Amino acid sequence: MQLNGSQIIAECLLEQGVDTVFGYPGGAVLNIYDALYQYSDKITHILSAHEQGAAHAADGYARSTGKCGVVIATSGPGATNLVTGIATAYMDSIPMVAITGNVSNDLLARDSFQEVDITGITMPITKHNFIVKNVADLANVIRKAFRIAMSGRKGPVLIDIPKDVTGALCEYTPMPPRQSENTLFSTDEDFAAAAQAINAASRPMIYMGGGVVSSDAEKQLLAFAEKIDCPVATSIMGLGGFPSSHRLFIGTIGMHGGYETGKATDNCDLIIAVGARFSDRVAGDRKKFGEKATIIQLDIDKAEINKNVMIDYSLVGDLKDTLSKLTETVSATKHDEWTTQLAEWAKNSGVTETPKSDQYAHPYHIIEAVNKLANEDDIIVTDVGQHQMWVSQKYRFEQPRRWCTSGGLGTMGYGLGAAIGAAVGNPGKRVILFTGDGSFHMNLNELATVCSYHLPITIIVLNNTVLGMVRQWQKLFYGNRFSQTDPHRRTDFPSLAQAFGIKGLRIHNDDDAEAVLNEAFASEEPVVIDCRISPDENVLPMIPPGKTVDDMITEME
Amino acid sequence: MENKQIIGLLVQNHPGVLLRVTSLVTRRGFNIDSLTVSPAGFEGYSRMTVRLSGDDNQVEQFINQMLKIVDVKKAEVLPEDTSVAMELLLVKVSSDRDNKNDIIAVTSAYHASLVNLGEHSLTFRASGTPAQIDTLITELSTYGILEMARTGIAALANGDTTLTK
Repeated sequence: MQLNGSQIIAECLLEQGVDTVFGYPGGAVLNIYDALYQYSDKITHILSAHEQGAAHAADGYARSTGKCGVVIATSGPGATNLVTGIATAYMDSIPMVAITGNVSNDLLARDSFQEVDITGITMPITKHNFIVKNVADLANVIRKAFRIAMSGRKGPVLIDIPKDVTGALCEYTPMPPRQSENTLFSTDEDFAAAAQAINAASRPMIYMGGGVVSSDAEKQLLAFAEKIDCPVATSIMGLGGFPSSHRLFIGTIGMHGGYETGKATDNCDLIIAVGARFSDRVAGDRKKFGEKATIIQLDIDKAEINKNVMIDYSLVGDLKDTLSKLTETVSATKHDEWTTQLAEWAKNSGVTETPKSDQYAHPYHIIEAVNKLANEDDIIVTDVGQHQMWVSQKYRFEQPRRWCTSGGLGTMGYGLGAAIGAAVGNPGKRVILFTGDGSFHMNLNELATVCSYHLPITIIVLNNTVLGMVRQWQKLFYGNRFSQTDPHRRTDFPSLAQAFGIKGLRIHNDDDAEAVLNEAFASEEPVVIDCRISPDENVLPMIPPGKTVDDMITEME
Repeated sequence: MENKQIIGLLVQNHPGVLLRVTSLVTRRGFNIDSLTVSPAGFEGYSRMTVRLSGDDNQVEQFINQMLKIVDVKKAEVLPEDTSVAMELLLVKVSSDRDNKNDIIAVTSAYHASLVNLGEHSLTFRASGTPAQIDTLITELSTYGILEMARTGIAALANGDTTLTK
């Protein structure tokens, strides 16, 4: 049948099972928005306040549902506003298709109004990108974009479409989405060698990452860890991929990970990295990381092998299949002595919590109180900074895809958009956004979106009136010279929320925390809770950048 | 071990593929001293030949990273002992009547041919392995090289081996 380019876009989105898109209209996407008007019974469009918010929403939607996030923006500034959102998704391997309009073919390369070379700009932050200059190529490019975004190591793909292409007529023939291919690339010999190393280990440790969540391999990881009785540490990205309440779970690893995971890294004789990439926030000193251990790495991306840390054995392929096969190959065993030792270390973290004060609430107390009130399948979203680390340390995740955080890029301002995407993708579920006053100030315009769509998002602003994480580094490494980190803004968050049409509450200290949180959790209304915490609160323990657990800081001031 | 390796890439010649390859080289901090691009001999594909300085780990990383580019279909090392690698040199040497015959003697030892004659210069064409070209340049530099252009390396595996198989 004859359709115009915009109708072809809508039909191709439907082919891929897309029923929700995020975006913001503009001149170059007028045709696309006209098609969205026509297809509004089949495709829900969520309008953000700013394209960055829409990109983060598509990301939060993808993380929390496992589906591909879709975001649409116009040419020029619309497209460039997506850049931080795309880069955030790229660093965390989140599947996303970004569709941007561009000026018509005859205006391209003439510095036309709202023209920008978005494929050039996004080349380093996408798995691949396209500019479609001919409507005859459009359907296949969209299909290919989804296949690239969702296959192998997932990630964002951008399609730039000049305006005339979105209006041009072309014959359209529907096509079912292609089935994913076999992704087990290692040989039986590779598995046998890895299994032998695992069987020979007496102090093994699993270091898991976001790949476990991305490949939906949580059941396979659980079976594997239990069979070899192996403690499991996780990167921030892996949280939820292994139940926090499990006896083998030892917590997060890295800069703000626990003392016991640091000691385990240093003293184990085998590290099994599962869907993790040895980033500098985990392997601060990449030459010393696990230097006494044999290292096995399981990953879908061959380029991750030997990238940061040299690996002894690697198994490349989809984690679900790789872990299943590896579990069959290894012998069941127990490591009682080792797990007992780890439990001992866990008791001696050395970190003392700050004493209770009636002036401020304590972040750990708030996070634990929320943890008690929330359901296991409520979705936790964070921004970036101290609050993010506190949540990663304290919150107990029992299920995958209940956690959205910008792990790799560390994008302040990510949280509210991502929370919107998670709420849209999970109707009936509560979304809890932990943010800081610094991060929240960056993109709080999306409160308008929260109100428009009446999304059940509980926003907890851990408000210390300072840029706490950078300030903490200034305390540690810059002689308390608080350069531009003490803004002490007087923003009245509850009143601000009310101005956007959202309920606003305040927690002054630990004593009134329960009552306020109970009020917030009693309804599904969106709510902003301004939670006053001390500007001098720190994230501890901390392994300084480039160092190991031996240099761990457990006390400050 | 720090060394130089030649890597052959087979790429789909979509617009921007050269930028995708070179941008990745810059982004990941790879050190290349030669890059050539030409049609691969069958429709829709180009062949790139890269000479990379780096240890074995860097070569492995280079290949694995290149293969992540959607348009890059093959990336393989072409080892020196099992491949033929050549490049072409055009060089304009400063010359007067007195040293003309000396220069021609040197260049003919390298099978370089005289392609153009100027009032005060001689232009030669030479082809050979990168090492042979380097030596010729060193020899000619004593006479004064006015300008030169090298094509960069083209390389193929010995025997029946091809990048497509």
